[in-house]
Amino acid sequence: MLTEIQEGKALNPVVKHITQEKINLYAEASGDFNPIHVDESFAAKTPLGGTIAHGMLNLAYVSEIMTSAFGQGWSSEGKLRAKFKEPARPGDTLTINGKIGCVEQKDDVSYANCSFECRNQKGETIVTAEAIVKFESDKK
Amino acid sequence: MSDKAITYEDLSVGYKFPPAIYELSASLVSKYLKAVDSAGDGFVPPLAITACAIAAMTGSFSLPSGTIAIHASQELEFFKPVPIGATIECHIRVAQKIARGKMGMLILEIEVFDKGKEKVQSGRATIALPT
Repeated sequence: MLTEIQEGKALNPVVKHITQEKINLYAEASGDFNPIHVDESFAAKTPLGGTIAHGMLNLAYVSEIMTSAFGQGWSSEGKLRAKFKEPARPGDTLTINGKIGCVEQKDDVSYANCSFECRNQKGETIVTAEAIVKFESDKK
Repeated sequence: MSDKAITYEDLSVGYKFPPAIYELSASLVSKYLKAVDSAGDGFVPPLAITACAIAAMTGSFSLPSGTIAIHASQELEFFKPVPIGATIECHIRVAQKIARGKMGMLILEIEVFDKGKEKVQSGRATIALPT
């Protein structure tokens, strides 16, 4: 977990490699077997030209960073807003960078506003997201 | 979950998808963590819960043959950590239905409760799909 929460502080980035095996596992775990994710012959005939990762799989990486940085504060009082810009495909390597944009104090409670970008190896933006989390502050 | 899939045309604002109940077993969470390549923190990852809720909706929704739906955006709010092994109930309601040429946008409200009927998360998903 973060020991110091400051405006502008970068959160530890994560780098993830997307494979069809992980997409299939995600489909099994979530129950989302939409053929665009798991049926390569179906997906090849669509405008996307092949299978893509579930958007929520890509977004899970943002949540992982928030859990690492803020612990259970994230799952007990977190807010997330995300836009899925481009699909991630098997073979892609995604890099997810995040930082604390601002820290707000409301009625003795502190909130960190964080922003994220998930890009593939070509530099294309796959997901953008904003997250807000409440945290214990030393400021009184 | 319903045995009969509903189509985009059949959906109207206020429609509630059949509630879905999931047991978030250790094996399910383990599979999820392997898929997202994460170690986890001993609780069910909040987005694993959202994923189940969305799957409950997509499983009872029918698209024209050969077409695809795209998850365009997602908003979420988390209210409490969920322990591994917990049972959750997912509710999804159509909040808005927007036609844009040959495409449609569905805005869905998601609410997830634990066994004690306490809300664990809520959110809104925007899904783009052919009409």
